[in-house]
Amino acid sequence: MVPKAHLKKLFSTATMVSLSLSLIAGCSTPPASTPASESGTPTTSTSTEAPAATANLQPKKGGTITIGIANEPDQLDIHKTGMAVANQIAGNLGASLVTQDPDTLEFKPYLAESWEVSEDGKTWTFKIRTGVKFHDGTDMTAKSIAETYQRALDPATAAKVAGSNLSEVESVEAPDDTTLVLHLKQPFAPLLQFLSDPGWLQPLSLQAIAQAGDKYGRQPVGVGPWKFEKWENGQSISFTRNEEFAWADPIFQNQGAPYADRLVYRFISENQTLLAALDSGSIDIARGVVAKDVAKYRDNPQFEVKEMLRNGLGLFVMLNTRRPAFQEIEVRQALNKAINKEAIMKAVIQGEGVVSYGPLPPSLFGYDEGVMDYGLKYQVEEAKALLEKAGYTKNAQGLYEKGGKPLKLDLLTQTGTWAQASQLIQAMLKDIGVEVNIVTLEWGALVDTATKGSFDMTLMGYTLNDPDVLYLFLHSSQADNGLNFSYVKDAKMDELLVKGRTTVDSAARKDVYKEIQKYVVDQAWWVPIYTEKQFNVVRKPVEGVGIHPLRGLMYHDSWVNQ
Amino acid sequence: MKQYILQRLASGLIVLLGISIFSFALIHLIPGDPIRIMLGENATAEQVHALREQLGLNQPLVTQYFQYIAGVLQGDLGTSFKTGRPVLSEILERFPATVKLAASGMFLAICIGITMGVLAARFKDTFIDFSAMSIATLGVSVPSFWLGILLIMLFTVKLGWLPIAGGTGFRDLILPAVTLGVLASTVISRLTRAGMVEVLSFDYIRTARAKGLGERAVLFVHAFRNAMIPVVTIIGLQIASLLGGTVIIERVFDWPGLGSLAISSIASRDFPLVQGIILFIGVIFVLVNMLVDIVYSLIDPRIEVGQTKEGTS
Repeated sequence: MVPKAHLKKLFSTATMVSLSLSLIAGCSTPPASTPASESGTPTTSTSTEAPAATANLQPKKGGTITIGIANEPDQLDIHKTGMAVANQIAGNLGASLVTQDPDTLEFKPYLAESWEVSEDGKTWTFKIRTGVKFHDGTDMTAKSIAETYQRALDPATAAKVAGSNLSEVESVEAPDDTTLVLHLKQPFAPLLQFLSDPGWLQPLSLQAIAQAGDKYGRQPVGVGPWKFEKWENGQSISFTRNEEFAWADPIFQNQGAPYADRLVYRFISENQTLLAALDSGSIDIARGVVAKDVAKYRDNPQFEVKEMLRNGLGLFVMLNTRRPAFQEIEVRQALNKAINKEAIMKAVIQGEGVVSYGPLPPSLFGYDEGVMDYGLKYQVEEAKALLEKAGYTKNAQGLYEKGGKPLKLDLLTQTGTWAQASQLIQAMLKDIGVEVNIVTLEWGALVDTATKGSFDMTLMGYTLNDPDVLYLFLHSSQADNGLNFSYVKDAKMDELLVKGRTTVDSAARKDVYKEIQKYVVDQAWWVPIYTEKQFNVVRKPVEGVGIHPLRGLMYHDSWVNQ
Repeated sequence: MKQYILQRLASGLIVLLGISIFSFALIHLIPGDPIRIMLGENATAEQVHALREQLGLNQPLVTQYFQYIAGVLQGDLGTSFKTGRPVLSEILERFPATVKLAASGMFLAICIGITMGVLAARFKDTFIDFSAMSIATLGVSVPSFWLGILLIMLFTVKLGWLPIAGGTGFRDLILPAVTLGVLASTVISRLTRAGMVEVLSFDYIRTARAKGLGERAVLFVHAFRNAMIPVVTIIGLQIASLLGGTVIIERVFDWPGLGSLAISSIASRDFPLVQGIILFIGVIFVLVNMLVDIVYSLIDPRIEVGQTKEGTS
C-alpha cells in the first residue's frame, strides 16, 4: 500500500504543478493595453440607415437591454479607476458639462448652460443649470462640480485619467450655486473635449462618497439617466432607470428618462461565448466583435452592425532618431515609401479600416484630408533612390550598406495583429534591400524597451479623443520619460504642439493641426499604417442604439421593441 | 489516527510553503508588468514609477516575498492590485460558484463513470464493453472547450433550450455540469472497469459464485468495494482539482467561479490575487488528499491510516 500512497502524492503534486502552469501558460497573452473600443467614427452607411429604419416605430417603455463586453472594470469610482471600460460603463451614471454634436463635433451646452473664456484663455466661467439631482436625492450645483474637481485634483485621491484630464487646471471655485470657475495654468484647448465626456469628469456627490466610504467604488452615485443597481462580481453590473431624469443630453431625441427599465453589462471574456450569447438572445448587444466575425451579421436582418473607427492611430511605426541611420531624413522617407499600407491592412484586419498617411485619424478634430495627397505613398523605386541619395549602396547580398555597415534594423512588436503586420513589414523592407529583425515583446516590456531607447523601430498605437495626443508622442519634453520614443527634439515641432494645445479658437486650432500634420509627414519620423474599425452588433428587438464618433455606442434613445 | 492527521497537517504546511515560493517565483518570472496593464497605453513613465512605488513593487523580490508571507501567516492574503479589495473576500465570493459546478459535475461523472465501468467489466469483451470503453477513450481525447462550444451551439444557439452567460441558476448550470461530468467520467469508468475486471478474477469471487450467491451480490457486495480503491483516489484528486476552478470550462461557459477569476487575475498580472488563488487551491489539495486517505480506511478496513512506518522502515 505504501508505494501506492507515494505514487498518489506524486501524482497530486504533479497535477497541482501542471494546474498552476496551465493557468499561467493559458494567459501568457493578456490584453496588452486598454482597448478603447467604445470610440471611433461611424461609417456613413450604417450611421445614416439606422435612424431611417426605426423612424416609423414608436419607442416603448420597459424591458432590459443587455450588453455583452469582454472586460470587467476594477471599480466605478471614476477618479480612482484608470480603465477605459470603467469610463464607458460609468458614463451611464453621469452627465457632462458640455456635449459634443456627433455630426459636426462642435461643443454645445449641457449641464453648463453657457460658458465664457477670459481673454488670456486662463479663466473659464461656466453657468450651471439648476434642477439637476443626484441619485441620492441631493441637488447638484456648481459647488458639487467644484468639489468633484477638487477631489480629482487632490493628490490624496491619486486620480488617474480624471486627474490628468484636469492637469492644466490650477484651481476650481464656485462663487455661487450656478457659477463654476476654472483657473488654468495656461490656455488649454483640449479642456472642452475632456469636459464633454460623461464618464471621467462627471459631477459626483461628495456626500454619497463620504457615506459609502471604501465601498463607494461598488455603489457609485451620479446625476445620469441610469442608477446603479448591483454588481455581481465576475458576472454583471446592472442599472435601473432614473425616473426623475429630466435633463437629457440635447443630442438625444429622448429628453426624459430612458425607455428601458434596466441596462445590464454582462462580462463575457471568451469571444466564441460572446457570439453564442448574442445568437441565442442572452445578450442584445455584443461589444468589440472582431472583423472576421462581422460578415455573418451584416447579411442578417435580425442584427444591426454598428461600426466605428478607432479614435486614434491603430498602427504606426516609430523610427528611433537616436540611431544615426534615422537621423537622415532620406532614410526615414525611404521606409515610408517602401511599406505597402493597403496590403498590410488587407492581410491583418481584412481591410476593415482606413489607411493612414499622417499622424491623425479621420475621427479626430483637426484631421486634414489633404494628407491623402501629400502623404508618402508606396513607391519602391523612389524608396531605393532615397537610400542611394543618403549614401547607401547595395552589397553582394543585395542589402543596402554604408561605410561597410549593412542597414539592419530591429523592429519591436507584440503578439496578435501586430506580429502579422511586422512580418509583412519585414518582407517589404527585404524587397528593397533592408534587413529587419523582429523582436516580439509583451506590452509592458515593449514600452520599457522603447522608453530606454534601445531599439531601431517599434510598432505603436494610441487612443485619445483629442489631437493633443501628439504632444505626448512628439514634444521634446516627452522624449526622456514619456511616449516620444522616436526621440524627436525639434524646435518647430515643439512650438506647433504648444500652439495646438493653447489655441482655444477652434478654427485657428484646426489650422495649427493642419500644419502639424504636414510637418510630421515631411519629417517622416513615423510610418503611419492604418486605423482600424471597431464593431458592435445589436440584436432586434433592441432599437435606436446610437453611435457617437468619439463616445461610441449611446443608449439614451434605445428601447426594446417587445 | 489523531497523530496521523497532525503529521499530515504539518507536512501539508511544508507543501503550502513550497507552493507559495513556487507561485511567487513563477508569477514574477512571466513577462508582463501589472503597472503597465493597469495604467493603459498612454501612461507616462512618472505615473508608472509612482504606482510601482505605491504598490511596493520596486523593492527586491525577496523582501516582497517575506512581506507577503508575514501577511499570510497573520491571515492577510493582501489586497488585489486591480480592485483594491481583500484577496480572501474576492476568492470566497467566487468559490461557491465553483463548488456548485464541481459538485454537480462530479456527481454526474461518478454516476456515469461507475455505471459504465461496472457494465463494461460485467460484460467484458462484449459489444457493451467495447462501446463503453470507446466512449471513454473519445471522452479523454476531446478537449473540454470543444465539447463545451459544441453543446452551446446545439442547445443554446440551435435549439434555444438552455441559456448561456446568464448567471449561476439551475438552468445555467446544466451545460457546464454536463460537459464537466462527461469528461471527468471517462477516467472513472476506465479505472472502475480495470479494477472490477481484476477483482472479478480473484479466487474469492469464484468462491462467492460457487456458494451460489446471486450475480448482483457478487458484483456489488464482494467485487465493487474492493475495486473502488483506485477509483476513490482518482475521484478525490479530481474533486480537488475541480474545486481549484475548472479553468477552461468556466471560461467557455462564462461561469463566475475561481477558474475564471484566476484567468482574469493572471491576465492583469494581479500578483496578490494570483498568489492567493494558488495558495487557496493548495490548501484544498492538501485537505482533500487527507480526506481521501481517511476514506480509504473506511472502504478497506485492512488499510490503517498512520501505519506508514512499517512500509518505509
